[in-house]
Amino acid sequence: MKKKVLAALLTTAMVATTLVGCGSETAETPAAETTEEAAPAEEEAPAEDAAAEETTEAATEDAAADPVANLIAATTDTVVLTVWASEEDQELTTTLIENFKAAYPDVTFEITLGAESESTAKDTILTDVEAAADVFAFADDQINDLVKAGALQPVSATYTYDVAAANVAGSVEAATVDGTLYAYPMTADNGYFMFYDASVFTEDDVKTLDGMLAAAEAAGKKVAMDISNGWYIYSFFQGGGYELTLNEDGSNTCTWNAEGATDVAQAIMDACATGTLVDMSDEEMATAIAEGTVAAAVNGTWRAETAQDAWGENYAATKLPTFNVAGTECQMSSYSGYKLVGVNPYSQNVGWAMLLAEYLTNEESQAARFEARGLGPANTAAAASDAVQANPAIAALAEQAAYATPQRVGGNFWTPAETLGQILASGNPDGTDLQTVLDTTVEGITAPIE
Amino acid sequence: MKKTVGFVTRHLFLAFLVVIWLIPILWLVVTSFSGYRGINTAHFFPETWSLDNYKALFFEPDSVVQYVAWFKNTLIIAIFTCIISTIFVLMVSYTMSCLRFKGRKGLMSFGIILNMFPGVLSMIAVYFVMKSLGLTNSHLGMIIVYSAGSGLGYLITKGFMDTISVSLREAARLEGASEATIFLRIIIPLSRPMIVYTVINSFLVPWGDFVLAKLMLNSGISTDWTIAIGLFNMLGRSLINKYFSIFCAGGVIVSIPISILFVLMQKFYVEGVTGGSVKG
Amino acid sequence: MMNKLKSFGNYFKDFGTAVVKGDIWVKLSLFIMGAGYIARKQVINGLIMIALEAVFAVMCVFYAAPNLAKFGTLGTVQFEQVFDPLTLTSTVNDYDNSFLILLNSIISLFIILAFILVYIANIKAVYRLQKRKEECHHINTFREDIKALFNEKFHITLLTLPCIGVVLMNIIPILVLIAIAFTNYDQNHMPPSALFTWVGWKNFKSLFTNSTTVTFGYSFGKVLVWTLEWAFLATFTTFIGGILMAQFINSKNTKWPKMWRTLFMVAIAVPQFVTLLLVRNFFADTGIVNTICSNIGLTDFLKDIGLVSSHLTYIPFLTSPGWAKVMIVIINIWVGIPYQMLVATGVLMNIPTDQIESARIDGANRFQIFVKITMPYVLFITGPSLITDFVKNINNFNVIYLLTQDVYVTSDQLLANSNAKEVDLLVTWLFRLTNEYYNYKMASVIGIIVFIICAAFTLITFTQMIKGNREEDFQ
Repeated sequence: MKKKVLAALLTTAMVATTLVGCGSETAETPAAETTEEAAPAEEEAPAEDAAAEETTEAATEDAAADPVANLIAATTDTVVLTVWASEEDQELTTTLIENFKAAYPDVTFEITLGAESESTAKDTILTDVEAAADVFAFADDQINDLVKAGALQPVSATYTYDVAAANVAGSVEAATVDGTLYAYPMTADNGYFMFYDASVFTEDDVKTLDGMLAAAEAAGKKVAMDISNGWYIYSFFQGGGYELTLNEDGSNTCTWNAEGATDVAQAIMDACATGTLVDMSDEEMATAIAEGTVAAAVNGTWRAETAQDAWGENYAATKLPTFNVAGTECQMSSYSGYKLVGVNPYSQNVGWAMLLAEYLTNEESQAARFEARGLGPANTAAAASDAVQANPAIAALAEQAAYATPQRVGGNFWTPAETLGQILASGNPDGTDLQTVLDTTVEGITAPIE
Repeated sequence: MKKTVGFVTRHLFLAFLVVIWLIPILWLVVTSFSGYRGINTAHFFPETWSLDNYKALFFEPDSVVQYVAWFKNTLIIAIFTCIISTIFVLMVSYTMSCLRFKGRKGLMSFGIILNMFPGVLSMIAVYFVMKSLGLTNSHLGMIIVYSAGSGLGYLITKGFMDTISVSLREAARLEGASEATIFLRIIIPLSRPMIVYTVINSFLVPWGDFVLAKLMLNSGISTDWTIAIGLFNMLGRSLINKYFSIFCAGGVIVSIPISILFVLMQKFYVEGVTGGSVKG
Repeated sequence: MMNKLKSFGNYFKDFGTAVVKGDIWVKLSLFIMGAGYIARKQVINGLIMIALEAVFAVMCVFYAAPNLAKFGTLGTVQFEQVFDPLTLTSTVNDYDNSFLILLNSIISLFIILAFILVYIANIKAVYRLQKRKEECHHINTFREDIKALFNEKFHITLLTLPCIGVVLMNIIPILVLIAIAFTNYDQNHMPPSALFTWVGWKNFKSLFTNSTTVTFGYSFGKVLVWTLEWAFLATFTTFIGGILMAQFINSKNTKWPKMWRTLFMVAIAVPQFVTLLLVRNFFADTGIVNTICSNIGLTDFLKDIGLVSSHLTYIPFLTSPGWAKVMIVIINIWVGIPYQMLVATGVLMNIPTDQIESARIDGANRFQIFVKITMPYVLFITGPSLITDFVKNINNFNVIYLLTQDVYVTSDQLLANSNAKEVDLLVTWLFRLTNEYYNYKMASVIGIIVFIICAAFTLITFTQMIKGNREEDFQ
């Protein structure tokens, strides 16, 4: 009895999904429409016993052109899948997986959930692609390496919703390499912005870096940023108008040593020399914020909670400030960041893995993720909700989005850039000519890939 | 008078050294009772005390903390590793020390050189060898990884066996004992301190290794891990501020059995470390 | 050397004699390995040999041949996959995995080599049997053969399992590693999706060349120097410290020596990775030690005397090159001394007291006794283990990795361009090259060099130990 009720409930749920889903169907996947209709029919069949034979037959005929129904029909064995999600995401993902299983009651699943942080997923996956999970979450900066290693199954067709149309353009761009979509956008909040203690800074203060530093110094507080980190130091040079792009072979093109770039480096050094702008790693920042020594930080949503706890009502977030390059104010740029879900091409059940990846990233799941953890949805419909709009961190990210660029950079960028940050943040202790410093950095960044 | 001053300074100095040596350990212990989950950088002693960390360790397993499962995994792996390793080491040591056959010296030098090869270097190849045997993500695989090459660590035990008087063996041989009997009945009982030494050393390996373990147990499912991976994982960038004090609690708990083992076996251990080089 | 060559020659000569002089059964054994045994009524031995040959043949056809055929190119068929959106299934071509080809080829070569050795030994054994028969000697029954395995051939019984383990876990991986040093296995050539192939000595060349873009030569020099410095410092500081401390605690004037020793032991009973990770946070830039130092004014004092650069508000214990190197050595002393103390205690307990007594009667003071008698004695006993410690420190992965990973950022741009840091040892550099940059080819080259350095140090010490008759001295 219980089962019947569940089946009926699910059927209703599926129909509801269909109605929502239809709005964003594209020509690319005409089959998807039938999917939704056929799936409930399939589910009803066992419930209605032999009497429903005719209906089933009709459904099967329809299903010939319907991939998902085909897949359900072709699946006789237990579908074994592994999913990797970050430690913080375990609870939610477990629920979503249960829902997914319930959505396909005719198939027996054995889905195991493993913990793998999105930021380090690449390291584990690349060591042995074949042993990696069938479905995994990762940060968009790793997409190039993953694609190059053949660790991502192209999203050549979608079945339950249209990935490209449903998510914000930036996230789709981030999930695309050379014109092929390789992953399913999950969140759109993996970039950085600035949060601050409104009791220390006024809204005017936070517009310029100089203003912030002055206000912070007056209050005896610090402004924190992870300067010795390629990901963050990019914001200064990109903001100053210097370029860093990825070449086809995986090497970089970089103009950070072009004429005038020393002014940017000088600006960073000057700001750090005040002692008010401090170079801190993410973990250190968390402690420093909690202890109250830091009153403003350039960081991402993952630290927003710490700041909120520490500053309470005074917690505010905004875009990055402008900074002074030889007299002109330049807006700091940033990397936009997305979390994506990918499917392993070496999976034994690629089809089911793709359906699960779609499920984990559909509108409801993204909305649920925001509710549970405050993560900004990439799905436009989910992001449009009032609750999401009212979230200061997400609003700040949206504001910064105008100055943000997707992360397209080859592996040789990180270490040299990190060292550049370290040198500038520590005030160039060797006293090397800044131009030489930048030249060496650029040489490292643009080193050819064999 | 002069003596008393000397006596006091001597012991004060020792006490001072002990303090230096134990301060980090003390910090580990007090932080494990901290009510604050992150790293407390302002005060040495926590501001609020609680047992929550231990409670979380044992009774509130989540995807990050699976302490009981880790402890069990590590214990199983450690027990089998130390049994196999000890047997291997004894077998090789006896062969090299008491038996004479062609190619013995060559084999010995070869073994010593091989043993110098740091495991970190060939890890990837080890991983794929184990993978082709289907032994990744399994206890058996870990046991093999930790114990298979242990025969190479024969040098100290061999040195000890060299000091066992040859007349004992000759007497036994005259009475018609086979080599196997001599090995099992005479040499092994006499090598007790070395056995204890080998047992402790090989027992400790799985508790401290995180590099190989992390590579071999790559399913991402935290209940499969050993203690070392689990604790190491807690200090990852995104987790450290929520799990630092739990990490400390975990560190304290692991240390208890190991400390007891150490203190109990201290005597044997000293004999073991100095091995055959000390004439009795 | 000549002797070795000679015995090597004899090995094949004996085989030749066996083949030429053997009767029909020996010759038949060339094809059917068990034949010779069966003819001499050693049926079980014969059957085992036949089974072995059969298994080997099957292995050759289905395992060795397909892999070795591709060994020259390491595979030519790239991974290709076609996804059918209608059935949601993908079809994959029969692709080559360079790494598996390499690994399986090496295993195959190993098995083939082992088989050849068995094969030659078999012919010789069968010929021996023939001669025994001709000379009317007793021929062992199967039971007697088994018994021999526990007597005169006991070494074979004892060594078989450990050897298999060593071959599996040490030798094959090392051979694979050596082979990789001659390929272009890196992030752009990663199986299973891509192929890699042989490139000859190219990687070795790039380790010793130095240009602005390829700075491996520069980094290698720097890292090697620090590795040796570190190994020396780490070994000697803990060694001397351990002896001094043991001496101090064992002195007659010290009360409760056991208690003191146990207290120090607590520090090593906590697993090393726990203490090291803890200490790393202890000395972090915003860590507790820095808080205390700045509270008591030490930070400002160090700034005044120029040990800490003026713009910092903390002491860069583990983040500036100079400080970090010193701190690593100090922390290693902290970790290592209790252990060395334990060793030294054992040695000192056995020190010949008569010498010390007579020296004291001669009027030597305590310092002189320590330098003239205690130290030489301890050095004599622990000399070999000192070298072992030195080699272990060259490869001391844990201390360096756990203290500096994620914390230390290099400010030397040339090092950064080849992903090295000032505080890196060769092993940690190599580990990061593989683990974070998947540069297996360069890591293998560095690995081989580390191995050569370590093997040289070890050989120098141990050849004497083994060559000399020291091992029989005591027996």
